[in-house]
Amino acid sequence: MGSLEVDIAGLKMKNPVTTASGTYGSGKEYSDLIDINRLGAICVKTVTLKPMSGNPPPRLWETPSGMLNSIGLQNDGVEAFIDNDLPFLSKQDIPVIVSIAGTSIDDFSRLAKMLSAQSDIDALELNISCPNAKVGGMIFGSDEKLAAEVVSKTKMASTKPLIVKLTPNTGDISAIARACERAGADGLSLINTVYGMSVEVDTLKPRLGSIVGGLSGPAIKPIAVRMVWEVAKVVNIPIIGMGGILTAEDALEFIIAGASGVAVGTANFIDPQAPIKIIDGMNKFLEKHGVSSIQDLVGALKIDS
Amino acid sequence: MHQITARVVENKEITRDIFRLTLFAPAVARESKPGQFVHLQCGVNQSYILRRPFSVHQTVGVDAFDVLIRVVGDGTKWLAARRPKDSVNLIGPLGRGFTIGAELKRALIVAGGMGVAPLVFLALKLAEEKVKVYTVMGAASKDQLLDFMDLKRLTRKIAVSTDDGSQGHKGLVTDILGKEIEEADPDVVFACGPLAMLRAVAGISRRYSTSCQMSLEARMACGVGACLGCTVGAKDNYLKVCSDGPVFDTQELGW
Ligand SMILES: Cc1cc2nc3c(=O)[nH]c(=O)nc-3n(C[C@H](O)[C@H](O)[C@H](O)COP(=O)(O)OP(=O)(O)OC[C@H]3O[C@@H](n4cnc5c(N)ncnc54)[C@H](O)[C@@H]3O)c2cc1C
Ligand SMILES: Cc1cc2nc3c(=O)[nH]c(=O)nc-3n(C[C@H](O)[C@H](O)[C@H](O)COP(=O)(O)O)c2cc1C
Ligand code: FES
Repeated sequence: MGSLEVDIAGLKMKNPVTTASGTYGSGKEYSDLIDINRLGAICVKTVTLKPMSGNPPPRLWETPSGMLNSIGLQNDGVEAFIDNDLPFLSKQDIPVIVSIAGTSIDDFSRLAKMLSAQSDIDALELNISCPNAKVGGMIFGSDEKLAAEVVSKTKMASTKPLIVKLTPNTGDISAIARACERAGADGLSLINTVYGMSVEVDTLKPRLGSIVGGLSGPAIKPIAVRMVWEVAKVVNIPIIGMGGILTAEDALEFIIAGASGVAVGTANFIDPQAPIKIIDGMNKFLEKHGVSSIQDLVGALKIDS
Repeated sequence: MHQITARVVENKEITRDIFRLTLFAPAVARESKPGQFVHLQCGVNQSYILRRPFSVHQTVGVDAFDVLIRVVGDGTKWLAARRPKDSVNLIGPLGRGFTIGAELKRALIVAGGMGVAPLVFLALKLAEEKVKVYTVMGAASKDQLLDFMDLKRLTRKIAVSTDDGSQGHKGLVTDILGKEIEEADPDVVFACGPLAMLRAVAGISRRYSTSCQMSLEARMACGVGACLGCTVGAKDNYLKVCSDGPVFDTQELGW
């Protein structure tokens, strides 16, 4: 049997599958339904320095092959995370990735410092790509200079590997990716949701309380695969690909395009078994094609010249 | 909480566009409490992807339960087309149901339209606990008064309103609620129905200083408290309808 093991930004993962931040709570929510320890890693909901109440409802709208959300980073703040959620995660024996966001560079540094002191956290994911937070969020992720600055300052404050999560809502994602790499990022994850909107015509009202939101699910997969492919060509750090992954075949598309790992988001809502089915499906694929390691498939895209 | 691929035992159209779908799921039937819901995957397809939430209507024997489904869109249409031996993937039981306090003696149930779905199960539990139950029920018309006979059997008095006057008071349940509260003098009002009705029920209950629990609806993605998509604004924060609710005390909501 082929090996699914990967090493992403220093994280030793027994398979390339992790969860997409914000779709998996702190993991506890799903632990009745799946064996969390089968995952390659777990990435939890973005935490901020202070509690955030999030955006006004309605926050969800289902769209063809996808969904819009405007959660707005609702969370109880980093201290509550450490007290209430981390103990559960500590008991799991898979790497834990904690996603962080802030409204200023100082926020990111302080979060990185506080979380670096926690031995049960294995990596930090810098969320500079949330389309739903009024301040910060995507602003950092759509400007090369700002992105580089937040990454290098956070890197200085952190002793954990730093993965930077990129937004598709920018002109040149490759330029941002390169800026993050130069500033010291250990890995990249992409993509966050695609900025979107829907209108209820009978009432002339927006479907979401905050008018605009982020599109996720199968509808965005081709965009995500293309961005992973573009970014993989210009950086040397590993990439975690995500956006609409429902099946092993979807996951393999990302890997072949250049991702070393994949994250499962919206698919968890559809079928909590999705990550397990993806892992099993990858195993079958390796076997069927006689591939000895999933790593041999990373960036293996064949282009006829 | 379980994820089960449940076999369809029966699917019956009880009135136009309303189906009672019975699913074989022993663990869910055993563990469900009134007011809890199940999250149903309505087929696997490319156009719509999310599960749909439905109240547990009643348990059927010890191994099965049913849901009442009003066909309103693609997901419910798919469910309506299920036949015995087909299967439906479900997650459940989910959420917090109605709280039946140990000292509860008298209760008033308010059902509006499809909101009746979780309330027969509740009335059954209340009857088991020897609580005196009164019911106020409203619907568009007589043929839409679902579960009328069951509720009538389980309650001391049932008052009815219909929009078209085909049975009972012509108008809204909330027109007759005050009078029924005065008569029944309940310790608590349990309500489920359209949002406008629930808002009004909350107001009337407050006027009579009667505590009030109501089951809310919200669009859901995960159904298990992970995505924070289904929130309702409470006094000074947001609560998750799927896991903090769907049943809330109106005081928690600040209504
Ligand atoms: C806790 C809870 C219990 C419910 N119990 C029942 C019940 O017992 N019987 C019943 O007939 N209906 C019930 N509903 C409403 C039911 O979930 C919707 O009617 C159903 O999701 C519609 O799906 P659709 O694909 O047919 O409609 P569409 O309108 O095509 O659905 C589009 C999207 O909107 C969502 N949606 C549409 N209407 C609602 C709604 N009212 N509430 C939440 N999400 C909605 C769908 O889930 C889907 O994601 C309940 C809802 C909640 C939240
Ligand atoms: C409900 C919801 C909440 C999300 N919250 C966050 C978040 O807090 N932080 C973050 O970095 N990404 C968040 N995301 C984005 C996902 O992590 C992921 O990048 C995106 O949804 C694309 O993957 P998917 O199509 O598999 O869901 C959220 C997505 C959804 C659907
Ligand atoms: S539907 Fe995800 S938290 Fe309620």
